[in-house]
Amino acid sequence: MERTIFIDKDKCIGCYACIVACKLEHNLAPYPIKPPLGDPKGPELIRVYQVGPKIRDGEVYQYFQPISCMHCTDAPCVKACPRSAIYKDTETGITLVDQDKCIGCKFCLWVCPYGAPQFQDGKLKLCNLCLHRLREGNQTACEAACQARAIHSDTTDEISALKGKKAAERAGQENSRFNHTNSKGQ
Amino acid sequence: MSPERKIVKSTCKSCHGGCGVLVTVENGRMTHIEGNPETPTRGTMCAKGLASIQEVYNPNRIMHPMKRKGERGGGEWERISWEEGLKIITGKMKENIDHYGASSVAICQGTGRGYNRYTLRFARSIGTPNVALAAHFCYGPRLAAFGMTVGGRLYCDYHGWGGEYPKTQISWGKQLEITNADGEMAVWFLDSLDKAEHLILVDPRATRLVGKADLWLRVRPGTDAALALGMLNVIINEGLYDREFVENWTYGFDKLREAVQEYPPERVAEITWIPKDKIIAAARIFAKEKPGCIQIGESLEAGNNSIQTLRAIVCLMAVTGNIERPGSMINWITPSTGPMEDFAMDVPAPEEPAVGADEFRLLASPPFAMCHMPSVFRQLREGTSPIRVMHLEGNNPLVAYENTKQVKEGLLNLDFLSVADLYMSPTAEYADVILPVAHWLETDDIWDMHPRFMIGAINKAVDPVGEAWPDNKIFNELGKRIAPNYWFNNVEEMLDYELRRADITWKEFSQMGFLAKMGRDQPYYKYKTDYWRKGGGFPTTTGKVELYSTVMEKLGYNPLPYYIEPNESPYSTPELAKEYPLILSTGGRLPYYFHSQYRQVPWLRERQPYPIVQIHPETAEKLGIEEGAWVWIETPRGRIKQVAKLFAGMDSGVVVAQASWWYPEDPGPDHGLWKSNTNVLTRNDPPYDPAMGSTTLRALLCRLYKVEDE
Repeated sequence: MERTIFIDKDKCIGCYACIVACKLEHNLAPYPIKPPLGDPKGPELIRVYQVGPKIRDGEVYQYFQPISCMHCTDAPCVKACPRSAIYKDTETGITLVDQDKCIGCKFCLWVCPYGAPQFQDGKLKLCNLCLHRLREGNQTACEAACQARAIHSDTTDEISALKGKKAAERAGQENSRFNHTNSKGQ
Repeated sequence: MSPERKIVKSTCKSCHGGCGVLVTVENGRMTHIEGNPETPTRGTMCAKGLASIQEVYNPNRIMHPMKRKGERGGGEWERISWEEGLKIITGKMKENIDHYGASSVAICQGTGRGYNRYTLRFARSIGTPNVALAAHFCYGPRLAAFGMTVGGRLYCDYHGWGGEYPKTQISWGKQLEITNADGEMAVWFLDSLDKAEHLILVDPRATRLVGKADLWLRVRPGTDAALALGMLNVIINEGLYDREFVENWTYGFDKLREAVQEYPPERVAEITWIPKDKIIAAARIFAKEKPGCIQIGESLEAGNNSIQTLRAIVCLMAVTGNIERPGSMINWITPSTGPMEDFAMDVPAPEEPAVGADEFRLLASPPFAMCHMPSVFRQLREGTSPIRVMHLEGNNPLVAYENTKQVKEGLLNLDFLSVADLYMSPTAEYADVILPVAHWLETDDIWDMHPRFMIGAINKAVDPVGEAWPDNKIFNELGKRIAPNYWFNNVEEMLDYELRRADITWKEFSQMGFLAKMGRDQPYYKYKTDYWRKGGGFPTTTGKVELYSTVMEKLGYNPLPYYIEPNESPYSTPELAKEYPLILSTGGRLPYYFHSQYRQVPWLRERQPYPIVQIHPETAEKLGIEEGAWVWIETPRGRIKQVAKLFAGMDSGVVVAQASWWYPEDPGPDHGLWKSNTNVLTRNDPPYDPAMGSTTLRALLCRLYKVEDE
């Protein structure tokens, strides 16, 4: 079954726990605390972007949007890689990397619409939807940590059902604050 | 040989909350941590807890006890044994107790971290009234306001155990969603928002909740009491209050009704800078759309009128009948262990008064009788303090307390200072003896901070690095050497004693993981039963919710809530405002730091390496300040620099700086203490909150200008 990830900006509270959970899970490089401290954060397989606060129609809005690899079905990175280091898991459609083949040319970053490819020691690091955890029946590390229930990693059909149910419920709540929230342009 | 691998179940202590965690240990070393899905926090964790392995295996940990060589702050240390360290500290304490009385010794800790009861018991056991957490501006006012008004602590009922969730939620001066659990936990709060129909945000800033709120009251910093009184005015005058509850279960409603007449919405709009229609709308929603709850934060406590601000908000809960009803504010009952702080209260309170007790009679009142730290540092500076010896357990006053320069002068006047900590903080650098403390992942203990309905087992995952000891062991060993009657042969015996009322041992509890009163075990409407009083009632003097406080009356304070201007403001100090035209809040908090903690932790520090001051884009443009530039923030006490972030989500006259910054990587003894720490800017002089001695940290005046020389 094809798997994907859905991250709900209306739920995300911008706590950054997903990033730390991911770094721990994937053993990503720690940041050297040596002054002057710069901005580069090393590889982040899930990134969180703050949008706003902006004023629109007199109302303030802001939100946080975590973004990871989208595991595209027809993935531009898979096609672009000159060494065929990026491939799809046949069972789940998860985009995986053969680090031995990767030459760190970063062409995948050129073609990725989401800026997902990350590099550690010159080699591509990509979200693998915690395939190793999935095989043991566990959620992705980011989803497990998320206090806001903003992250959902599941089959495409289940994510579709989850979103469909939400939309149906919203339709029956004309005056709910969730519609109000949406009317603010979120 | 296959590696030895085990999973240890424990309880995270990275903030006040206690999320259940699973720790993977391989060959004696921790390799992974994640939430335990089988606990009430359902496996979730925050950035702080998830990074805690990097905190344990950190090259900056203090590894063994040390005593000072050379002058204070000189950075020269001699490694000593635990026995010698304990002997020096207890020797100094005993010598001073014998010569000058027990009041000459002060026992202090920083933010509550589940070892509060050991700190408080230790102080009592050696007979000193001079014990303190940062209670005068953090949590003490909430405990006092709830205690005197309803006879316990009220928590928001996010759980639905009584069949209802809050329909209207107010988040007031608090970012429960990202900061820490001093009340309930973020995970339950966020879940309960799905069930709420209204969310009202009260904050000078557009916090992360703003997009989820249907009403944002952009209150002028320091004027929250006026807002609460204005909402009471609307609710009472429009007859929207809960008549049945008010008539049967409150005391002093007529006097409150009279008092709130001074706060019509028009006047409150002028004071708070919130449009009148929004004040009225918020009042009507909260009164009509029930049940409702209000999450209140520390911002409301760090002001010159903390108690009356909180009292006004508790009155708001009471007149709307939002107390003890499912989905409202509940005084949770504890697990069968009883309140864990009884471990401290077991020991008779000292008879001598604490420093500040004559003036701040509420702060000095039982059960949480404490000394007033701004007065302690003032007296030390002036050479009039009874305190000569101070022991700090996990406390960094040079960063944490108001007016850093004067705190330092005071600390240096101590005859003897001992500090127990994990890291070399700026304060530890000035100690005479330093004790290395074990991390919670290296500790066996009982976690009992928030919420009140559960306790959790903190199970040691690995042995401490170096020679570090857990806080509970340090206090037990110090205690044994001065007041053996109150202390135990070892920590396990002590933990057994703390659990005795639940009829379980530490070993059993360690296996159980947590003990809670949840679901049907948690009763509602306790005042309608014999739970607190035969025939019903609240555990207060009058048996009712005291809108008019007999406690305050008895202590000689105003029994009814009122509003006063902040000490510094465009209205109270117009002359000062000409020189310092912007309102400064030092309340900036981040999801990956907790007070002065965690700047040493790589995965947390990289989230934001330097402190940020939020400035409105219009103000920044006027001052020629660009996004990302270092700016000076200056008050009459001093100046610091932080990095400018242009932020449109607040009034253009307000500036919000991030608190508690120091730079562990900078050279000692001060580790960048003077660069960015907002307490260089805060004032430690009166007027304080008259009853609690709270200082003003959220409504000061400042000016801003670009840092030109770097």
